[in-house]
Amino acid sequence: MKQVIELNVNGMNYEVAVDPQDLLIDVIRESIGLTGTKKGCGEGDCCSCSVIIDGDLVLSCITLAIACQGKKILTIESIEEKDGKLDPIQQAYVEKGAVQCGFCTPGMIMATKALLDENPNPTRDEIKRGLSGNLCRCTGYIKIADAVEHAAEQLQKRSEN
Amino acid sequence: MLLPKLEYLAPKTIEELTGFIEAHQGKAKILAGGTDIIPNMLSNLYKVDYLIDIGGVEELRDISYEAGKGLLIGAGAKLKTIEMSSVVQEKYPALQKAAGEIGSPQIRAMATLGGNTCNASPAADTPPALVSLGAGVVIAGKKGKREMLLEDFIQGNRMIDLKPDEYLEKFVIPDVTPNSACRFDLITLRAGVEIDIASIGVYICLDDSKVIKDARITMGSVAPVPLRASETEQLLIGRELNEDLMDKAAEMCASEAKPIDDIRASAAYRKHLIKVLTARTIKETHKAIELSSGTGSNR
Repeated sequence: MKQVIELNVNGMNYEVAVDPQDLLIDVIRESIGLTGTKKGCGEGDCCSCSVIIDGDLVLSCITLAIACQGKKILTIESIEEKDGKLDPIQQAYVEKGAVQCGFCTPGMIMATKALLDENPNPTRDEIKRGLSGNLCRCTGYIKIADAVEHAAEQLQKRSEN
Repeated sequence: MLLPKLEYLAPKTIEELTGFIEAHQGKAKILAGGTDIIPNMLSNLYKVDYLIDIGGVEELRDISYEAGKGLLIGAGAKLKTIEMSSVVQEKYPALQKAAGEIGSPQIRAMATLGGNTCNASPAADTPPALVSLGAGVVIAGKKGKREMLLEDFIQGNRMIDLKPDEYLEKFVIPDVTPNSACRFDLITLRAGVEIDIASIGVYICLDDSKVIKDARITMGSVAPVPLRASETEQLLIGRELNEDLMDKAAEMCASEAKPIDDIRASAAYRKHLIKVLTARTIKETHKAIELSSGTGSNR
């Protein structure tokens, strides 16, 4: 018998019917309809499914939906500017050519946001470490690291103005 | 990939936790971070009727240090919290390194120290560091508590000395002693989200005349359990460290390792890695004692 639980995603409360064994990523994508979060490996290795729960960057493909009641969940859909423009992190990825097929990109951007929230001025090594879980099969990672550096600069500039 | 049907329980207190474990013993597993248990169930390694989520039991996340007593770490403490803890960084860098090398930032934000031990993979990172630090565990249940050394708690590949009506409550790591240090090192094929092919925890304590009076060398990924290199320890104790002794210790430790061939590395290569790691880590540990001699901190 499914239970109805309430999940807070991107600031909104959603009532969803779940079985205890339902994974968060499936509930986000299929019950709530937010398909920006991607299921790559489905076993906690590739980090495409990265979301931020109560400020921590975590993996939605190995998290039970039922365990997330009362928590604040942020998905890639929360990364946007008010007027529909791209967020500085997204803009940096575009400008630096850090997106090819785009499948890893939502996870990469969530990891970038988590990194820059904790460490607004990371070194290249800290960037590599912060994104060390996220796999990309297309880009070779260099332009992704460039994008994170650029995003950090742009966010610093913005906060100085 | 879907999980098999299960029931989910989320106790808020130790009493509730103990009650659930007692009521469903044999049919339940503890859900801590889920980073081993969920992938394992997705791969059909096992299944359970009940998952008991300890995430809501705050006491199990406590980390507290008391001079003279040592460090107490709740089984539910996240690896990320341990990695970022200033007392762990300052006094137990071997544990900080071991915890900080596991998986990815995402995994470290979810995974727990208790889970890493209780999953009892032969390649687990924290056990060799913890065993070399002299760590003990406190096991609790309705019938009461018992304590033992971590190296006795982990009994085999995915086997721990835990009865169906018990849970792992906390780790107890002895306080730092003067003229001693503990260091941990590992070798992986890639930089992150990788399973170690060899690891080592080295603890050395010197007496006032620089003679080694105690040593604990624990190898990981080269046996079903974290393996103490007891002959190598005996070789070192009572002697002063020099290049020749270090080389002998490295050879002996490699001979004590019991690795297997698998998809990540051959047994022969793993023995070679243990030789390299032993020399390197003994040197690092000894240097750390020299740098901090007299201050009494385990740096």
